[in-house]
Amino acid sequence: MSVSAAGFAKTFQYADMFKEGMLCTVYLSFFTVILGFLLALVLAVMRLSNFQPLRFLAMTPDGHLREEGFLAAVGRFNPISFIATVYVEVVRATPMLVQLFIVYQVVFSKNVIDLPSVTVLGFLKLNRFLPGVVALALNSGAYLSEIIRAGIQSVDGGQTEASRSLGLTQGQTMLYIILPQAIKNILPAIGNEFVTIIKESAITYTIGVQDLMSAVKAAQAGTFLVLEPLLVVAAMYFCLTFPTSKVIAYFERRMRRGDQR
Amino acid sequence: MATKDNLIQVTDLKKYYNRGAIKALDGITVNVQKGDVMVVIGPSGSGKSTFLRSLNLMEMPTGGSIIFDGVDITKKKVPNEKGKMVKLDIDKHRQKMGMVFQHFNLFPHMTILENMTLAPIKVHHMPKDQAEKKALELLGRVGLGDRAGAYPIQLSGGQKQRVAIVRALMMEPEVMLFDEPTSALDPEMVGEVLDVMKELAQEGMTMVVVTHEMGFAREVGNRVLFMADGKLLEQGTPDDIFLHPQHPRLQEFLSKVL
Ligand SMILES: Nc1ncnc2c1ncn2[C@@H]1O[C@H](COP(=O)(O)OP(=O)(O)OP(=O)(O)O)[C@@H](O)[C@H]1O
Ligand SMILES: [Mg+2]
Repeated sequence: MSVSAAGFAKTFQYADMFKEGMLCTVYLSFFTVILGFLLALVLAVMRLSNFQPLRFLAMTPDGHLREEGFLAAVGRFNPISFIATVYVEVVRATPMLVQLFIVYQVVFSKNVIDLPSVTVLGFLKLNRFLPGVVALALNSGAYLSEIIRAGIQSVDGGQTEASRSLGLTQGQTMLYIILPQAIKNILPAIGNEFVTIIKESAITYTIGVQDLMSAVKAAQAGTFLVLEPLLVVAAMYFCLTFPTSKVIAYFERRMRRGDQR
Repeated sequence: MATKDNLIQVTDLKKYYNRGAIKALDGITVNVQKGDVMVVIGPSGSGKSTFLRSLNLMEMPTGGSIIFDGVDITKKKVPNEKGKMVKLDIDKHRQKMGMVFQHFNLFPHMTILENMTLAPIKVHHMPKDQAEKKALELLGRVGLGDRAGAYPIQLSGGQKQRVAIVRALMMEPEVMLFDEPTSALDPEMVGEVLDVMKELAQEGMTMVVVTHEMGFAREVGNRVLFMADGKLLEQGTPDDIFLHPQHPRLQEFLSKVL
C-alpha cells in the first residue's frame, strides 16, 4: 500500500466533510468536557461527603460515638458516597463501547427518551449527537471524579482546619479554599483527560455521529483509498489534541506562580 | 486582670485513638476564665495539641464535656434559648474561637488581604470595604500594613504567623487558641510573633497557648498546665510551676527544657 499525492488530492475533495467532522468532534468534546466535569465534581463531593444517616445507631447512650463493632460500621455507612463509588467502579470496569450502546439503544430509545429527528448547531443530528455526548460525559465524569478526588485529598489538611476554625462551613471551605488549590494540583491530569476525550469521541462514529471518523468512511468509500483519509484524520486529531495540551500546560505554568512551598 | 467568669469549662475530657489503645487525652478537667492566658506545656506526644484541637472540636472527644458560653459543645443536640433541643451549630461556636497553627495555614491562593477578609465577608456578611478597612488597620498594628497585596509565599515565617494571628482576630473571637505558634520559625523571628501575642494578652484577650517558649510562659502566662500521657499532672501560676514544681514528671521535664 502506498501513499500518493494524487491520493491526497482525491481525499481533499472531501474537505467539506472533514471540516464538518472536525467541527462535530470539537462540539462533542466541548460538551462532554463541560458535562463530564460537572458530573465529576458532583461525584467527587459525594464520595468525600460525610453524610451518615445511621450515625445515631453508633451512639452510646451517653451521646458519644462507638469506636468498634458492627454498629460502629453501620453508623459510618454513607449512602451518598456508596452510590458514587459504585457508579465510578462500574463505569471504570465496563467497556466504553458497551456504555455507549446502552445509552444510545436503551436510554435514548423510542420508549424511554425519544429524541426528535432534528439537526442542531447547523448540521448535527440531535438523536445521534446527544446520546454520544451523554455517554462520553457519563464515562469521563467517572474518570475525572477520581482525579478531582485525588486533587482534593492532596490539599494540606491544615487548610481545612484553618478555614473551619474561622467559622466557614464545610461547603464554603470546599468552594473557596480546597477546590481552587485542588484544581491547580490536578490541572495536568485534567488536561490529559480532556485530550483523551477528544480522541475517545471517535467511538461515537459507531452510533452514527458524523464526526471525523465518519468523514474518513465517506472518503474511503468514495475514493477506494484506505491510507490517505486515515492519515488526514490522524493529522486533524493531532491538530486538536496537541494545542489543547499546550494551552493547558500554559495555564498550569501561570497558576504555579505565587505558589506556596 | 482575670475576672472570675468561666469561659470554657472542660470536664473529664477524653480522646482515644485506635479503639482506646492510644489515650491522647485521658480525663482532663480545667476551667478557662475570661482574660486567662493559659499556657500548656509538656513533653512531645503528651496530648497538648489534641487538647487544644478538642476545644474547638477539630477533634471530636471520646468522652467528657466542654461547656463554652454555657453550651456543652460536645453534644449533638443542645437546648436553645426557649429550652427546645436543636442541632448544635458548631460553626457558630468556632467563629468565637480563633486558632493559630504551627504551620500558619494561610491560604496560598489568596493575597494577605483576601486571607483576612474571606471569613468576615462570607460568615459575618460584613461589607467588603468595611472588612478591608478593618484588615488594613489590624495589619498596620502588627507592622504589615504595606503587605496587604502580597501572597503568603512572599512573606517570611514570622510575617506569615503575624498575618495568621490577625486573620483570626478579624472574627473578633472570645478566645484565641495557639498551637506551638513559634515552633516552625527561625529563631530570629520568634520574638516578633511573641511580641504580638504579648500585646494581645495585655489587651485582655483570653488565650490558650501550647508552647515550648518557657520565657513566654513565665512572663505572659497567668496559669500554666503541665500535661503528660494525656493527663493534666499539675497546674498553677508560672511561679508555682517553674519555681516550686511538685510532680516528679514536671521536675524532670523542667530540668530538660530550662
Ligand atoms: N489522628 C491520630 N491517630 C492516632 N493517634 C494520634 C492521632 N493524633 C494524635 N495521636 C496520638 O495522640 C497522642 C497525643 O498527640 P498530640 O499531638 O496531642 O501530642 P502533643 O503533646 O501535641 O505533642 P507535640 O509536642 O509533639 O506536638 C500521641 O501519642 C499521638 O501519637
Ligand atoms: Mg502538638
